[in-house]
Order: sequence, then C-alpha cells, then structure tokens
Amino acid sequence: MANLKKLYDAVLNGDAKTAVAVTQEAIAEKLDPAVLISDTMIPAMAEVGRLYECEEYFVPELLLAARAMKGSLTLLRPLLAASGTKPTGKVVIGTVKGDLHDIGKNLVASMLEGGGFEVTDLGADVSPDKFVSSVRELKPDLLCLSALLTVTAPSMRTTIEALKQAGLRESVKVMVGGAPVTPEFAREIGADGYSENASQAVVTARQFCHPDKAA
Amino acid sequence: MANVSAVNTSRQRVLESLHHRQPDRVPIDFGGSATTGIHVSCVAKLRDHFGLVKHPVKVIEPFQMLGEVEDDLKLALGVDVTPVLGPRTMFGFANENWKPWSLNGLEVLVPGNFNVTVAENGDTLIYPEGDLTALPSGRMPKGFHFFDAIIRQNHFDPDHLDSSDNLQEFELLSQADLDDIAAKARAAGTGEYATFASFGGTALGDIALVPAISLKDPRGIRDVAEWYVSTRSRRNYIHQVFSRQVEIAIENLQRIYQRIGNSIDVLFLCGTDFGTQTSSFCSVPTFRELWLPYYKQMCDWIHSHTSWKVFKHSCGSSERFYESFIEAGIDIVNPVQCSATGMDPEYLKSKYGERLVFWGGGVDTQQVLPFGTPQEVREQVLRRCRVFSPGGGFVFNTIHNIQAGTPVENIVAMVDALRSFSA
Repeated sequence: MANLKKLYDAVLNGDAKTAVAVTQEAIAEKLDPAVLISDTMIPAMAEVGRLYECEEYFVPELLLAARAMKGSLTLLRPLLAASGTKPTGKVVIGTVKGDLHDIGKNLVASMLEGGGFEVTDLGADVSPDKFVSSVRELKPDLLCLSALLTVTAPSMRTTIEALKQAGLRESVKVMVGGAPVTPEFAREIGADGYSENASQAVVTARQFCHPDKAA
Repeated sequence: MANVSAVNTSRQRVLESLHHRQPDRVPIDFGGSATTGIHVSCVAKLRDHFGLVKHPVKVIEPFQMLGEVEDDLKLALGVDVTPVLGPRTMFGFANENWKPWSLNGLEVLVPGNFNVTVAENGDTLIYPEGDLTALPSGRMPKGFHFFDAIIRQNHFDPDHLDSSDNLQEFELLSQADLDDIAAKARAAGTGEYATFASFGGTALGDIALVPAISLKDPRGIRDVAEWYVSTRSRRNYIHQVFSRQVEIAIENLQRIYQRIGNSIDVLFLCGTDFGTQTSSFCSVPTFRELWLPYYKQMCDWIHSHTSWKVFKHSCGSSERFYESFIEAGIDIVNPVQCSATGMDPEYLKSKYGERLVFWGGGVDTQQVLPFGTPQEVREQVLRRCRVFSPGGGFVFNTIHNIQAGTPVENIVAMVDALRSFSA
C-alpha cells in the first residue's frame, strides 16, 4: 500500500524520485487524486512554506520541494481533470515586460500549485497585451505579476492600466511581488494584493479566493 | 571636526577611511566597479548637466551597460576612486577598438567585439567573445537598458558530474593578460585616485556569473535554479569547484602581485548575493560550511602578502553573514542595502563600524533615487552620511548601480547633498 507519509516526507525533503514513485503506487492502488493532494501534497507544501517563513528553509530547499511536488502533480493532474475536481482557484502568473528574471515567479507559481491552485505560467518578459489576452481567455481568479528589477516594476502599472483599458480590471484580483515592490507601491499602482515571499503569496491568494477558509 | 586626517589626494582620503580614520570629507565612488557604477544613459545625462565635452560615452561594462566615468565627470561628482578592470568584459571580449552603437537612440561607444543581432521580437542578442557563430549568451529586451544572461544548460548526468566542467572559465592568466593588468594598474596607480581592481576569478558562485556568458559552449551546471539547488543537494560537487577555483585564483593573485605590487588599493573579491529583500539565500551554518573556508583562503593570502583591502558585494539582508565575513578576512561590504530586513544603518554602524568598511548605503536605488523627489534624495543622503561617516569606515556609493531612467535632477541632488555635508 502506498505510504503517504513517505510522499509527504519526499516533498518536504525535495526527494523527487521518491515522490514520483509513491505517487505511482498510489495511482495504481486507485487512491483518489483529489484526496492525495488535499491530505498529503497541500499539507507538505504548507509545511515547506512554514519552514521557509521561520528560516529553516531557503530558496534551494523551496526549489527542491517544488520539484518533488511537481513530479507528483504531473502524474495526478490528468486524473484530476478527468474527475472534474475544482482547484482552490485559478491563477495566471508572469514576470512583467522587460524583466527576464523568473526564479521568484517560479517559486510563487510552485507554492500556489502546492496550495491547490491551477496555475498558468506565462513566463518572463510578458507584455501587458499578453496578460490581458490571457485574463480574457482563461478567466482566472487571480493575476500575479512579478518583477526583480527597479526599472521594470513600472511595467506592473502599465499592465494594470491595460487591464482597465480592456474592461477586465474588475474581473480579476491582481497580486504583485518582487524585490523592488513594496506594499505602498502595490497600493499606488492599484494592485489588490502584495506578498513579500512565495509562502505569503499562498496565504494572500487564499484570502482572495476563499476569504472564509483563509489561513 | 576633531581628529580629521590631513589628506592631499583622493587616494589618501579613501585610504584613511578604509583604515577607519576620519578623512577630511566623505570619500566617494561612482564607477569604480560593476556594482558601484552608473548606467551609460545616466552618465550621458550627467555630462550634459555639468556642461562637459559632449561625446558618446564608453560602455565599460556591457552586461549592465555601465558607462565610463571620465576624469572630468569624476571631478564634477567629487569621485575619489578609479577602476582597474580585468582583461575582458563579462561577455569575454576586451574593452578595445571602440565603435559607435545606439542604445534606444542614445549613441554610445562599445568594444569592437560587442556584436549583436536583433531577434524577431525586437530583443537585442549579444554573443560570447563577439562570435556571431556561437549561440547568444545575453538578451536585452526591446526598449530596455541592459542584458540578462541567456541560460545555455547542456544536458548533464547528475550521477556523473565532473567539477572541471564548472571550472572552464577559471584559468591561469596568460602572459598577455598579466601585461594588460600590469599596464592598467600602473596607469591607475600613478594618478591621485584610489584604485579599485576587478580582476575576476575570485567570485564563488556569483549567480550572475554561473551561466558563464563569456563562454561559447559552457559545460557543467549553468542554469541558475539548478545551481541554487546544487548548493543544497550537491554540496560535494560545489566544494570541488570552489576548492580548485580558489587554488587557481590564489596562483593568479600571486602572479598579479608580482607584477603590480601594492599599486591597487581595493580588490573586488566576490559579488555573490547572500541576502534577499527580507531573508537570505542560505543559512549562516551553510555559509560557514560552503563559502567561508574558501573566502578565508583567498583573504589570508591577500592580507599576508599585500596591502590590498578586500571588497565583498552582497545585496539584500546580508547582516547575518557579517560576522562570518569578518572572520573570513573581508574588509569592505557593499552595497549595504539599508531597505532590506535587518539592515538598519545605525545598527550596522554601531555593531560593525570598527570592523567593516561600508562602501555603499548612501541612497536607495530601488525607490528613493529613481522615483523620489530631489528633496527626499537629499534628506536620505544627509541622514546616511551622518550615520556612516563618523570615524571613517565609509565610502559613499549608491546602493548598487545608478539605474537607467533615474532622473538627473535626483542624481544632482545627491551630489549636492554630499557636497554640503562635507563643506
């Protein structure tokens, strides 16, 4: 029988090989993928986030845990889709125009996936038009904008303006983050939310999607 | 002011401060290194503002597109430091055979082997060693201001990693390279400025350098995330890389020292960022296991053979590493990012002011300098000078390079504030 504690530990320890192996066993045993995610994967990633918050984990550990989780989710996602399970929320994420940095954005995307969100990652150097068309097409609950550079942070403002121009601003909550971004800047450009790291991003995203269940 | 040292030159002013003695005024660096520079577009604007001879500015660091701060601009800004750069830029070509190039409409001068193409989406692509037959190693998004590395991660077998692959770019300097360094150091060392050398080869896992944008065909771990992961999951491999890299670095430093002696004052050791905005990239115990012994080896050699002061750049919330930096033998920290968690200027000065030189911390380049008002810039500059300058141990610099798009009136407000503080 699949050892789910082993899966939990594999995600926590960033052991992708074990995470995939246990997930395969669980699938073979016809365990409910939604339960596997809600009872094992999400708690494991929540613990990863907690360890990051209290500075026992750092970026390398987050990246390793995310890889292990993704290895498992890649196997589970098709089964989830087939069963019609609803995600915690739908997210579109990207690094804004002019900025090619993606590690922070990738970490946020991974933590959100680990939190049960369905994440569409548009990559880096994403134009306002691309964000707008993705919001129109995918109808996400949340749009997450990332920037590392001081000179590209203003692209966040441009993107929010483009959403307004397209008449889509009210249809989606916008969260921003990255090194040059402050809560004041987030407010000033009209974002709905800000988080200072990947772990906090999950908490904020939950508040937007399920204010009643937010941690 | 009590106990102010008599100085006759910029160099003496900087040296006084590096030895934690009060100089006649706050020493200033703009343009001394790749982390204390000015974007070429801002250099051009400053030249215009001060009415200096109008000519295209040389891009002396093509990755971040930093402009040359010539002697006339040094004078206008009150700069006390001059750079001594290594034989090649980050893209692997020399700063020679200058040619004109247009950066978003601004005419600048770039090295002869600064060879670029324009991608379908309008981005500018640059090539290692200027070789247009190689894969590009840098990308500047259309309409933006500097390059970022293009990750060229070849397949590798994680079970059979060979550390020599990640040592490709670390070689013993050729005779021609030593001649080049000696000539530059000699020229800089005879002037009145403090000399700030960046020879390369001593940075341990600087994430800007891991992708090896100077190489045409980089081997080993070159992906940024893969490298970060490796500092946790492949520590033996990283130890092997650092261990051999440091052997090569020390041999190069020995050979450089034989040629230039103490004609340089400061050595840029390493730009690896250990801090993030609110936390760090690793724990202090990890730093002490994986980095400290190698920094110490290099610093020990430098301090036992030369009078050079050792400069360590680390962005973000880096205070937690300062005791270990001191133990390793690092003399100077930069950029002193006061906006990051735990980087309060008063705290830093009181706890480390007698043991570390703060080279930076002068004004925030994420918010205040690019987006604040001249008055806000002025107030922050004066506040930082009041905190950091007493007793020396301070060289004024913005917190990292002055970014493209920074209003020239804000830069001028900073310079005016510095002048009024020192008057």
